[in-house]
Amino acid sequence: MKEITQKMRDTARELLSSGQVALVLGWEKGYPWYKSAPTFIDKVEDVERLVFDEFCHNNLSKYLLDLAAVDGKVALFVKGCDSRGVNRLIQDNQVKREQLYIIGIPCPGLKDPDDAAGKNWGDEINGAVKCQDCRFPNPVVYDLLLGEKVPAVERGRETRELIERLEKMKPDERYEFWAGQFNRCIRCYACRNICPACNCRECVFDRAVPEWLGKANNLVENQFMQLTRAIHVAGRCIECGECERACPVNIPLMALNRKIINDIEELFGEEPAGLDPEKKTPLGRFELDDPEKFM
Amino acid sequence: MLAIEKKRLNELLRRMNRDFQVYVPYLENGTGKFAPYQEERELYLEMNTLLPPKDIFFPQTEKMYKFRAAGNELEIEEIAEQKEKQVVFGIRSCDAFSIDCLDKVFLSRGYEDAFYKNKRENTLLVGLACTAVGDTCFCQSMGLNPQEAVGVDLQVLDLGAEWGFKARTAAGQELLAKYGDVLHETGASPLPAEEFKLKVEVEGVPEKLSRMFDHPVWEEVSRKCLGCALCTYLCPTCHCFDVSGKVKGEEGYRFRCWDSCMFSEYTRMAGGHNPRPTKKERVRNRFMHKLSYFVERYGQLLCTGCGRCLAKCPVNMDITAVIRKIKEAEVE
Ligand code: SF4
Ligand code: SF4
Ligand code: SF4
Ligand code: SF4
Ligand code: SF4
Repeated sequence: MKEITQKMRDTARELLSSGQVALVLGWEKGYPWYKSAPTFIDKVEDVERLVFDEFCHNNLSKYLLDLAAVDGKVALFVKGCDSRGVNRLIQDNQVKREQLYIIGIPCPGLKDPDDAAGKNWGDEINGAVKCQDCRFPNPVVYDLLLGEKVPAVERGRETRELIERLEKMKPDERYEFWAGQFNRCIRCYACRNICPACNCRECVFDRAVPEWLGKANNLVENQFMQLTRAIHVAGRCIECGECERACPVNIPLMALNRKIINDIEELFGEEPAGLDPEKKTPLGRFELDDPEKFM
Repeated sequence: MLAIEKKRLNELLRRMNRDFQVYVPYLENGTGKFAPYQEERELYLEMNTLLPPKDIFFPQTEKMYKFRAAGNELEIEEIAEQKEKQVVFGIRSCDAFSIDCLDKVFLSRGYEDAFYKNKRENTLLVGLACTAVGDTCFCQSMGLNPQEAVGVDLQVLDLGAEWGFKARTAAGQELLAKYGDVLHETGASPLPAEEFKLKVEVEGVPEKLSRMFDHPVWEEVSRKCLGCALCTYLCPTCHCFDVSGKVKGEEGYRFRCWDSCMFSEYTRMAGGHNPRPTKKERVRNRFMHKLSYFVERYGQLLCTGCGRCLAKCPVNMDITAVIRKIKEAEVE
């Protein structure tokens, strides 16, 4: 990863000093040692801040929503999941491909910062839940690829096992399970705000008139918020797992998202979101022979 | 000092729970939080809780009054105030100081918040000294002692095999007297706290900030912020709330619930104008409130160094790094 870090810095230096891009989105070392944070580099002197390590979780594509006003091209680093986020935002007309210089990093899978808490460098640390059954560790879109492509490997089964368990439950049991989860939600909206599929100019939950969702924290409104979000990102969720990682109270949001992804793939024979920016999303188009199994 | 063997702590809590509603720290789905004592559950005393105890005094959602309006008739019914005596057991120094901050807000300067006051006055605080110091803890830098909490009635100290108790107030004395029969005298001395990994120098920052409202540092600091409310909802000292209501037919109620300066609609006015239009202004407000405005008004910082925001912010916004940036910033 040291090698990748070096290549990142060289690439960023080259892009900035030649004036090809005005801004580079990357990661820098944060605190504690098991955190890496998004960073914005617009000066050649600052490229030394860039790093790539097992804690570069943030999907930087989300920041493309803020960059409409940047004068010039923007370069950003993407892992496999992040690259699908870029495609999705292009597809949603949130950003233009021509404005981007995409630097791909084949991703070996990241580590879980919560497991690293209290440990030291070099200690054994569990893999990040969000990476456990990543299907596309290699970026699906890029102008430049740093490093060798990596094979997709299964790194854990936690989420899939939970989905299997949920599928076997009776509706009432399933309701109980999710009610127990969403009872804990503190409605901090970290899951929404970090999500590249959440790119509405004004979110329905922020709307004051009419007030679709009240501010009170209670099970009914927490569930309404989460189910609305799950359905709204259906067919657009790129499986980056950032929502679940951001959730401070460990709600297994990916069990919901992945279940929906599985169903869409099964029902509509669709390929996963964010692979092809030209193709309309399965729930964003209508066909006469759409299956109606769930009706 | 009076003490109890660690494995007998439950006897004390069980006794206490007969006389008071006792809140203790538990681990629930990997999240530490304070909850009503239950005999059979295992306590979580290793580290501080992720969710602060502030909702015991200032619930995330709290009903204020009910009303019925029919024709020209209006009936208002106060929602019963809770008067039960309660004990919060195991509060850390950082969180004890956060309650001192909340006291300043809700009980001083000529306005007393009845909802807060009622719960606060009926609560005894039992502090728990830290020996293990988390990676993100920096209370010491904020002038606190992790083994001596401000404003608690009793301080619990880790004596190795025993928990030791020191009374800090008359009410704390009474508690000790009341449960004296499960306690014994000990000569053991408290284990010290570990060395802090995270330190930050905060001196001069509040004054300097008052001249930094228009400083470019805010643009830089706020860039990565997502504008969620995670940092403010996990913060033991953040206390903003919104008042709203629910009406169904002729009946309804008013409630208040946590709000956050990180939300875009927090300052949005009727008509759409927003004096804090971007995250730059919102992030600036958050740090200004904690490190400058609150100091001006109440003479103390609104950050206790608990490190929760740093531990959980999904983009690793680090208040200690922000403080260092402020220290380094050039100001005319
Ligand atoms: S819903 Fe979660 S996994 Fe899907 S795109 Fe949003 S943040 Fe990523
Ligand atoms: S991040 Fe977790 S706690 Fe916050 S709103 Fe989302 S589900 Fe709720
Ligand atoms: S600082 Fe972090 S936790 Fe706070 S609003 Fe910004 S992104 Fe969310
Ligand atoms: S600002 Fe952060 S460190 Fe300070 S009291 Fe709040 S959560 Fe704790
Ligand atoms: S910040 Fe200080 S008092 Fe709070 S948990 Fe950490 S060491 Fe203990």
